[in-house]
Amino acid sequence: MNILSVKNLTKTYANGVQALKGVSFDVKKGEFLVVIGLSGSGKSTMLRCLNRLHEPTAGEIVFDGKNTAHVKGSEVRDLRRKIAMIFQHFNLVDRHSVLSNVLMGNLHTTGTFESLLGLFSEKDKQNAMKYLQLVGISDKAHYRASQLSGGQKQRVAIARALAQHPEVLLADEPVASLDPATCHTVMDYLEKVNKELGITIVCNLHFLSLVRRYATRVIALKGGEIIYDGDSKNIDNAWFETIYGVGAKEVHIN
Amino acid sequence: MRNNFKATVFDILSMGYILLLFVVAIVQPAEEQLLKLKENSWVALVCLILSYVLVLTLFKLDIRTLGEIIFEPPHKKSQGNKKGLLVSFWGWQLIVFFVVTLIISLIVTEFSFYELSSQKGFEGAKRIFWALFTPNFSILPQGFLAILQTIFMAFLATAMAVPISFVLSFMSASNIMKKSVKTGIVYVLLRVVMNITRSIEPLIWAIIFSVWVGIGPFAGMLALMIHTVASLTKQYSEQIECVEDGPVEGIQATGANTLQVIWFAIVPQIVLPFISFTIFRWDINVRMATIIGLVGGGGIGTMLMNYQGQGLWHEVGTLGLLIIAVVWAMDVASAQIREALK
Repeated sequence: MNILSVKNLTKTYANGVQALKGVSFDVKKGEFLVVIGLSGSGKSTMLRCLNRLHEPTAGEIVFDGKNTAHVKGSEVRDLRRKIAMIFQHFNLVDRHSVLSNVLMGNLHTTGTFESLLGLFSEKDKQNAMKYLQLVGISDKAHYRASQLSGGQKQRVAIARALAQHPEVLLADEPVASLDPATCHTVMDYLEKVNKELGITIVCNLHFLSLVRRYATRVIALKGGEIIYDGDSKNIDNAWFETIYGVGAKEVHIN
Repeated sequence: MRNNFKATVFDILSMGYILLLFVVAIVQPAEEQLLKLKENSWVALVCLILSYVLVLTLFKLDIRTLGEIIFEPPHKKSQGNKKGLLVSFWGWQLIVFFVVTLIISLIVTEFSFYELSSQKGFEGAKRIFWALFTPNFSILPQGFLAILQTIFMAFLATAMAVPISFVLSFMSASNIMKKSVKTGIVYVLLRVVMNITRSIEPLIWAIIFSVWVGIGPFAGMLALMIHTVASLTKQYSEQIECVEDGPVEGIQATGANTLQVIWFAIVPQIVLPFISFTIFRWDINVRMATIIGLVGGGGIGTMLMNYQGQGLWHEVGTLGLLIIAVVWAMDVASAQIREALK
């Protein structure tokens, strides 16, 4: 069953750069879909169109049977609640505690007034602690986010995303600024989220070794177009050169 | 035709200005001639047109002007390989512009070494200086009360301005307001109003308010408050404009609304700079309150003005010492607090 269906998605930035040139693909429920491609191939733009941090120029994104490409106001916020996102630079609020950061995942369902006063419900707080436990960082709940290491921050970001009770989790280069060992920890948690909570994941990645290890399906972007869509095992050297350019060398991290 | 509009305007104005000054230097017009606005405007216009012709010629000859250097697009700037200051046209354009302006400034300020070295004038200045350094401490208690009034006046002006500036600063931050046409209009209007308000000196505001609510500390406080609102709004909004995008994007992605994004992603990033600016503003306001007092805004300034008017220089000296002590203390305290908050 398709949870997301992208048809002919085009995104042209105000400065004239055409980041996506008619991209079409489906995301199946429960999938761990990985998007690969060079920097500037349109991976980030595509992800940000899915949760409408960017508005597509043309095309359709069907989510829950509804075209979300141009919805506005509260509908966009509704969409973002259901399609959570984690980022390369974690995007936590450094001066707030870890727990408070996770609680921010409930902003959409908390009234504006209550949220500004920091009055989150007891249930939200229990959930937040539950998700911090899930990513193995509940002992740091009352630390300031700025005191955490990169890997820990990304785990908090995952917990914040889970607090939104999302159906889909977008991950934009979630391990690109982490060391190789931490990479696997974070990816393992994403896999756990995918398998145990059944949340569909769409993830941008650089390293093919990670792609082979975690992806259930791969899409490759080049110059804003999809040039590969299928199993990660079938990406051989020839495909690798097509995606990353002739002469590119694969980097292995273990 | 060159397509760099700003560069063209800059070159026309700067070279027209130099041409005009040369015309003035050659003609040596009398003062009544200088007052004939209409005729002079025509001369200025002719200079500007000549300068425009010059700019076009330079462009045809492929000579780079100062305007082109300043306003060329960033991707060209980084390419480097410009000719040096003294061997290029733009270099000389800059030098002539600067030197001519310097000469005019010397003339209009009636700069004169003769006056500076006049014996009689110097004696007078020495007398006042001597009086200032031999203060009359019997008025210290009154002076003390007056400067307390000034400090509290400055505090109230700052405290009342902070909440207003806080709200206005978000409405005049481009990264928040330039997202739709409606908010864009609010942004532009607010910027214009704030710039005008800020460019009117607190001294003028004090005069306006002393007519409105009567001479005294209340008028001074209101004047300071208006100026503080405008200044803090600018400083605050600049701080808002340079917050990191990461947390903003992170909170937006949770489905939060604009107010929530501001409160959770932006406010934590700006709290400390805001406090720091505010304390600094109070410090500035104490100094400004003194000046405002000179036009009847109450506090130490008014007292200073009274003694100065009567030529009681020993008393003026006492108040001067008091002001120096307080300003120095405020300066040190605010610097220490701001340093600690970083």
